[in-house]
Amino acid sequence: MAAAGALLGLAWAGTGYRYAPVVDTPPTLTGDVPSDDRGLKQVTSRLRARERTLKARLAAMTPRGVFIVIDQTHNRLYLKKGDETMLEAVCSAGSGMVLKESSGKKREWVFDTPRGRFEVLSKRANPVWRKPDWAFVEEGQPIPKNPAERLDYGSLGEYALYFGNGYMIHGTLYERLLGRAVSHGCIRVGRDDLRVVWANAPLGTPIYIY
Amino acid sequence: MMPQQTWLRRWVTRALVASACLSLAACSRSPAEQQISDAQAAAARLQRSTAMLQRKIELAASKDFYLLLDPAAPELALMLRGAELQRYPVLGLMLGRPRVAWIQRGGHRPWRGVVWSGGNLEPPRPVLRVVQQDGGPSQEGEEPTAPPVPPTAEERYPVPSRYLIRFDDGLSVEIRPREADAAAGTWARWRTWWGAKWRDVVTAMRPRNRDALRLRVVLNPRDAESLYRALPPDVRLLVLDR
Repeated sequence: MAAAGALLGLAWAGTGYRYAPVVDTPPTLTGDVPSDDRGLKQVTSRLRARERTLKARLAAMTPRGVFIVIDQTHNRLYLKKGDETMLEAVCSAGSGMVLKESSGKKREWVFDTPRGRFEVLSKRANPVWRKPDWAFVEEGQPIPKNPAERLDYGSLGEYALYFGNGYMIHGTLYERLLGRAVSHGCIRVGRDDLRVVWANAPLGTPIYIY
Repeated sequence: MMPQQTWLRRWVTRALVASACLSLAACSRSPAEQQISDAQAAAARLQRSTAMLQRKIELAASKDFYLLLDPAAPELALMLRGAELQRYPVLGLMLGRPRVAWIQRGGHRPWRGVVWSGGNLEPPRPVLRVVQQDGGPSQEGEEPTAPPVPPTAEERYPVPSRYLIRFDDGLSVEIRPREADAAAGTWARWRTWWGAKWRDVVTAMRPRNRDALRLRVVLNPRDAESLYRALPPDVRLLVLDR
């Protein structure tokens, strides 16, 4: 009995994962390997040309010039140029809150900031917000029939950079809430930081949100 | 008797000399052979480099988020469409293979230079959504109530001291913060070790292709937390091979 227990214990000790340092293995040529010097020179030259082409293709895919990175988990906006970070700003991303309409059409809205790659599609100074239905539902206000009643002046701050589907980077009246996810999906930035973003991000600037 | 012994001695001596000559010939390459060998190595390096570039282009062309793990740098980068979103310095990197009763399971399979997909966190990140019901029409002159301020990610949930990013087809990346248990007492450390050991035992014995390979990546505690909170779902991974 004791021997069986000892054996079982030994087997248990040797079960799991065995870790070893990652070791580099030297590359080996695969495919048709020429054995003569001339053949090898041809292969090398072909590979070198292919490497150049691929490097150029990859370089064309990486952002050139200024781009914006938004970390919505930590509510940070980075304005970057190559490896250089020109600005690190505290922002507010989507709260992830769910708003349910109790009457009428019983609609539901989820205030998430989308992830992915976007571009600055348009820029507006002194933007006017055309309030969508949820803004009225959230405040318990009736949805106006007159479109002019939807217009809201000043709440988006000095500038807005639209990146599609109604989402934008804009200013806020509630700077004390920056650093918390409190927006309805847009990216709110403080006044001074927004001025830097506005000045440095032309139309077409890539925006990466994760 | 004597002539036979002499013959045997001569034969053994000749055999030894011949084998020594053969070994010497094998070891010392002619300049031409050396040149070919160098050219082959250079071509192999180029072949690997082009293969890596090809994989990187595939990843950058897709809409998925991906991780690039460079063991030579060593660093881990979160990428999207060729743009580096976040870079985490890697403090330690180990490869783990499952074994049952000291016997290794599963053969050697390529894991570097291969694109792994469907990477998700385990344990999964909690999704805590605040549901707000509209209050109905407000009275005339009544101030609308402000929506509740949601807590930050740090306030919402703690990050496990060790977690996995599990990919389809059997690779998982174990993220461990450096000195994860340093602040914990002996009993807490032992409990963590015991729990991890049992989980490893169960996983190693599973017949499925789950965790057939495990990469242990040690990060700074802040980076490990940041990665857990920010990692997008269904991420892909490429471990670079130089």
